[in-house]
Amino acid sequence: MTISAGIDMGTQRVKVVIMKDHQILCRTQNFSGFEPTKAAEQAFEEALLKANLSRQDVQHVTATGSGVEMAPFADSTVSMMGADAQAGAYFFSSARTVIDVGAEEARAVNCNEKGVLVDFVVNARCAAGAGTFIEAMARALEVELEDMGSLSLKAERASPINASCVIFAESDVVSLIHREEPKTEIARAIFDAMAERVSSMVYRLGINPGIVLVGGVAKDVGFVASLKRRLGMELLIPEEPMFAGAVGAALIAAERARRRQQ
Amino acid sequence: MASEIETGTKYIPEMSKKEIEELGSSIKAASIKVIQENIERMKKTWHNRPKEMEYFDEISNFFGRREKEIREQKEAGKKVIGYSCMFAPIEFILAAGAIPVRVGSGWYDAAKLGDRIMPVEVCPVIRSTAGAKMINLSPYLELSDVIINPLTCDGRTKLSEILSDFKPVWYMTPPRVKDDPQSLSLWKEEMQEIRGKIEELTGTKITKNNLRSSIEVMQKATKAFRRLQDLRKGPPVITGRDAMLVNQTSLWDDIERWTQKTNELCDELEKRVEQKNWACPPDTSRVMVTGTPMLWPDSWKVPNLIEESNPQGVLVVDELCSGDRILYDPVGVDEWTMSDMFDAVSERYLMASTCPCFTSEHGNEDRVNWLLNRIKEYKVDGVIYYVVRGCILYAMEYARIKRILDRMGIPVYYLDTEYTREDVGQMKTRIEAFLEMLEARIDI
Repeated sequence: MTISAGIDMGTQRVKVVIMKDHQILCRTQNFSGFEPTKAAEQAFEEALLKANLSRQDVQHVTATGSGVEMAPFADSTVSMMGADAQAGAYFFSSARTVIDVGAEEARAVNCNEKGVLVDFVVNARCAAGAGTFIEAMARALEVELEDMGSLSLKAERASPINASCVIFAESDVVSLIHREEPKTEIARAIFDAMAERVSSMVYRLGINPGIVLVGGVAKDVGFVASLKRRLGMELLIPEEPMFAGAVGAALIAAERARRRQQ
Repeated sequence: MASEIETGTKYIPEMSKKEIEELGSSIKAASIKVIQENIERMKKTWHNRPKEMEYFDEISNFFGRREKEIREQKEAGKKVIGYSCMFAPIEFILAAGAIPVRVGSGWYDAAKLGDRIMPVEVCPVIRSTAGAKMINLSPYLELSDVIINPLTCDGRTKLSEILSDFKPVWYMTPPRVKDDPQSLSLWKEEMQEIRGKIEELTGTKITKNNLRSSIEVMQKATKAFRRLQDLRKGPPVITGRDAMLVNQTSLWDDIERWTQKTNELCDELEKRVEQKNWACPPDTSRVMVTGTPMLWPDSWKVPNLIEESNPQGVLVVDELCSGDRILYDPVGVDEWTMSDMFDAVSERYLMASTCPCFTSEHGNEDRVNWLLNRIKEYKVDGVIYYVVRGCILYAMEYARIKRILDRMGIPVYYLDTEYTREDVGQMKTRIEAFLEMLEARIDI
């Protein structure tokens, strides 16, 4: 029996997953805030409580995410790309490409059947391809973040916007509002613009059938619809896609625990 | 109305003497610090760094021994010829008794000054070279009597105009297609013209004797360089950054002394091979870099990250005009006649170059072949394709090269960056993921 944990130190949230022999026992999360280490400690304690385990029961903890250096209790670390690859293959055996759209960054990785990372691209230079873009645009449209997706699905067409940068896009959205374009169409334009950026990144990597979408943004129905349209392919989305990085890290932790036992 | 351009119109805006001095001294101080830091970091990775590296550390300081030497020789009547890229015929410069120095800039802070006259989309090597000139930062550029500027890319083409605000700039136009029938003859005309200009500046005729001896000097340098390169083919007996530093100092050092010092370093390294005294564990992932030149000192950013990463990588070879391309190709002379030597020098600079400025319907085959041969010879595990923003030619060749390498199962990662220290965190994440990937592939 192997009990392992993965901690994903994201820019907005920390996520913790505890696994037992490849089964997810529990998931917890917390806002990263100003003290990500503390936030992670809390999430970890909560996870132990939920799983009815003590700290000593966990044989190996692997951390990942952009704040990986701030992770508490980590026995080892793994890159975000390596964790995504593991998680993709764990959720769907057919997975060969995993797209991860988080708060500040979008990336795409290719993996083999064992979940080993074989190639990756990152779109880190520009926030227009990541979750904070939707937040900024929801503010401009004065709608709740959660309502953006369903709003966009009601649109028949998309308004044109410049998506090269969040700031430019926001000023475009403001002028669309002034022209009294319907909110539905503006919302759709925002997701289309994001999907455009993410899909061109995926095309640079090379498209493999069996595309998995993970990260917090995978829960947004508006973005998912736009990305499907852009890629012309179905997307495989796991339950709780936000936890994919932590799941990948927990899988790697289990592997490392097993190797140490041998 | 007669429209007449005011002939004195310059690119660079007027700056007060005070501002030039203040910026110049603060950026110079920062640069000296970066040079020291880089050397410290290199020592930290390679605990047992040979004593022979100290010479190259000393020469790597732009504001030290070598600057003083060039200044003294200039005062004694020697001419200094700066060049911005590797198409300038070093053999002609040496034959005429002048001092060649490369003047492309690797200073990040200077690029910010260049932003005052150019948009940020322009390649930072160009912005930084112009910025360095604005505050008289580069001793070698300042000491140059003239700059040879080959028009290889758009940035360099316009850089000539900017630099000509300050000193004479000699243009060279390499043909964009190597194997057209007229290409070599056009190039020879360029070489003939530059030869005449060098003779006029120095007052020294390039003769059969002095050209032969300068060709032989450069051939010896190539031999020493290749000796060092051969040592990099086996288990890592030298770190990539140290080898890069050795190679790059050849751009401004006295080349005969450089050759001697490089041979002395190789003597020591050969001993270490026998003792199996490696610079890092022999199973460290072997990385090649290709792309935009990585100019000392600030552009050591990526090499530092690769060799300090966890898991670690070691640079075993590169395809950079700031690295392994500098000295790889010797001038091949059949008969030591003037016309044979002239042709051999011309051909060496055109035909042997793997610069992405060349094109043909088959793509830039020479560059692809160089990459493939080195990957095999140096047992490369993965390639970092390094591009700074605005470096269009390298950026555009990537898609094809990636496909070729993919087919061979050689992982390649496109690392795009800027002349900035702010993205070190992002670069680190990506490099670590790449090296982790190489390690995982080896595990299987």
